[in-house]
Amino acid sequence: VKELDSLREAAAHLDPERALDGLSRALGAWRADDSPWRARLAREHGGFSPQAIELGVRRGLEGWTEGALRALRARELGAGARAPRVTAVWLAGSVPTASFAALALPLLGGSAVYARPASADPVSARLFAESLGEIEAGLGACLAIGDDAAALADADAVVASGGDAAVRAIRERVPPATRFVGYAHKLSLAAVGPEADLRAAAREAALDLALWDGRGCLSPAWLLVCRSRPDAARELADRLAAELEALAASLPRGPLSAAEHLELRSLRARAALHPGVELQPRAEAPPWSVAVWPEGLAELPPPGAWRFAQVVPIDGLGDLERFCRALHPHLSCIGQRGWAAAQCAGVAAAAAAGGGSRVCPLGAMQLPPLAWRRDGQEPIRSLLRWVDVEPA
Amino acid sequence: MTREQIEARVLARIARGAEAAPDDVEFEALALALFRCQYEGGDAYRRLCEASGRSPDKVSTWREIPAVPAGAFKEARLVCFPIDRTLRVFRTSGTSTARRGELHLDTLELYDASLLATFGAYICPDVERIRFLVLAPPASDAPDSSLSYMYDVAARRLGTPLSRFYLGSEGWDPEALLVDLIDLEEPVALVGTAFAFVHLLDFLAARGLELSLPEGTRVMETGGFKGRSRELSREQLHGAIAQRLGVPGWRIINQYGMCELASQFYEPSLRLRAPSRIKRVPPWVRTRVVDPATGREVAPGQVGILVHYDLANTGSVLAVQTSDAGRAVEGGFEVLGRLSGAEARGCSLAADLLLGGA
Repeated sequence: VKELDSLREAAAHLDPERALDGLSRALGAWRADDSPWRARLAREHGGFSPQAIELGVRRGLEGWTEGALRALRARELGAGARAPRVTAVWLAGSVPTASFAALALPLLGGSAVYARPASADPVSARLFAESLGEIEAGLGACLAIGDDAAALADADAVVASGGDAAVRAIRERVPPATRFVGYAHKLSLAAVGPEADLRAAAREAALDLALWDGRGCLSPAWLLVCRSRPDAARELADRLAAELEALAASLPRGPLSAAEHLELRSLRARAALHPGVELQPRAEAPPWSVAVWPEGLAELPPPGAWRFAQVVPIDGLGDLERFCRALHPHLSCIGQRGWAAAQCAGVAAAAAAGGGSRVCPLGAMQLPPLAWRRDGQEPIRSLLRWVDVEPA
Repeated sequence: MTREQIEARVLARIARGAEAAPDDVEFEALALALFRCQYEGGDAYRRLCEASGRSPDKVSTWREIPAVPAGAFKEARLVCFPIDRTLRVFRTSGTSTARRGELHLDTLELYDASLLATFGAYICPDVERIRFLVLAPPASDAPDSSLSYMYDVAARRLGTPLSRFYLGSEGWDPEALLVDLIDLEEPVALVGTAFAFVHLLDFLAARGLELSLPEGTRVMETGGFKGRSRELSREQLHGAIAQRLGVPGWRIINQYGMCELASQFYEPSLRLRAPSRIKRVPPWVRTRVVDPATGREVAPGQVGILVHYDLANTGSVLAVQTSDAGRAVEGGFEVLGRLSGAEARGCSLAADLLLGGA
């Protein structure tokens, strides 16, 4: 792959401080008020409403500051660590901030990046590369966008996201001695504890559901609601319905494919057919749905997506852990609200039981920090190699 | 109108034949009456209708009758009769661990009438009886297979005594089939699943055999290749059948059907004496092509999702929404393939499979 030679050359000349500074300024340009980059992405992406791109990118990058980059680098880069000269990054999905993180992390570690955009989002990676080139040309030269699968064999490291089958297929194309970091199928859930203010929980959960339209691994596929009182789940569902209805106007859902529409219909049908499920709204093809499942289910309801909220009542931490354990190893994140300080360790234990690697406040599920150890892996350190020199 | 009265009228309609002129007024009346029966008699279907804000009092045309996604047959018993009156259950194909869709029947009268009317019209339009060579197990070996049941009934009512099934609980018997094919002196109806034909073609290819079956022989294949090791396009399959069996293309028919319906759809090639990829809709059925986003009908010729309204499905639900893309054309519809949500769901799909969902 011709670009890899150029990338190796560019990486050899990249000063780490310049890389950090360039990344910091580029991310700043993306989250700035009236960012032209964000505006272009909103126009060109096509997978989400412009409002969702505007809010999701601005909020998503809020914490990705120079200080955060510096702290992350200090945490992960040790003396003697060697970054791969070129990392091939195979992107998946359509969430722009997930693509930005996947591109920025190897660059921050000192590796050039050859990136293949996801078919669902050919725009985000291209625009991010363009912004880097404009803001810091030396850094821009370290990022190439392409789709040559030969890069999987030629790169010094490979990072791949996608479905289980896709990650498996990519891994097979990577030489055994090449560092490979794979991120396969994951999903997330919200857990509303006994002390939650249900009005606030509904507002926050609605944002987590609406941002990126339930397409990403961090979208809550279920909302587990602790029965602090008998009608807590129903009350949350009613408040959630009102919030989702409001967001349908202010943060509209993006376009769905025909297959997605069909699956959404199927989700509604499955909920409607199940005895005891309360489904809102009563409509043919609404832009959002909320289903409240009855207690004591023999099996988990199907995961929600595309602003379909699956509300499931639970008795407490024991139920939460059992639910998470059933998802193992596919759980990614728990968004929580309303658990007493003494219960927070229990929520983390439940996340771990499901294979999760993040517990965050409800309303922030879609806003992971750049330093998040996704799937429990250190995002830069997992790419590095050390040379141990023993005394003569 | 009671269900019995509706069934009597549907049977009378079927008796007029698969190629009889459709009667829109009659269809409207029967569909609305049947919808009311199924809404009132079926708890699960009623819940589904209520979720979309529809009821018999709010529906004024058959086009507004809520359709049930085919996958929902895995979720609930969609019946409008007491379940202990079930005579037969057909199940969708699938593994032993995956949940399978079920069609419960408390009468086989309409099912048989519908299948014989269409099978006769499109597979046997020129013969009273014909020898059936069936590449599928008999119903005795696969009692929950609607396909085996269909072939059983067709072979019994339209076949000669020499008709035979070549698949059974022990697998299939290609040697016996080959002997019978080589010995043929009269035309036959060679029928079976698409992937069974692939096995037959591979078997013949491995031996370098190209047969020339007697003139008048017809081939009917049905079903897809889901989960099979090898897939062929319909054109490739029909081309290979024509080459290996010596049957002209216009005598090779694809049948489109689904376990959740009582009626099936056929290409009229044998009637037209020319290849046709159009699926005929019998007059007791209507097929709409709808936009999956809105549920509204697309313009003629535009691609959408197929939704079938089958008056012969009296004990279950008459309106079934498929995952098949298609378009309406003069004389019927074309099937363009199945929409899969696997790619679309991304991360969530794995968990859905994990949890035993659709």
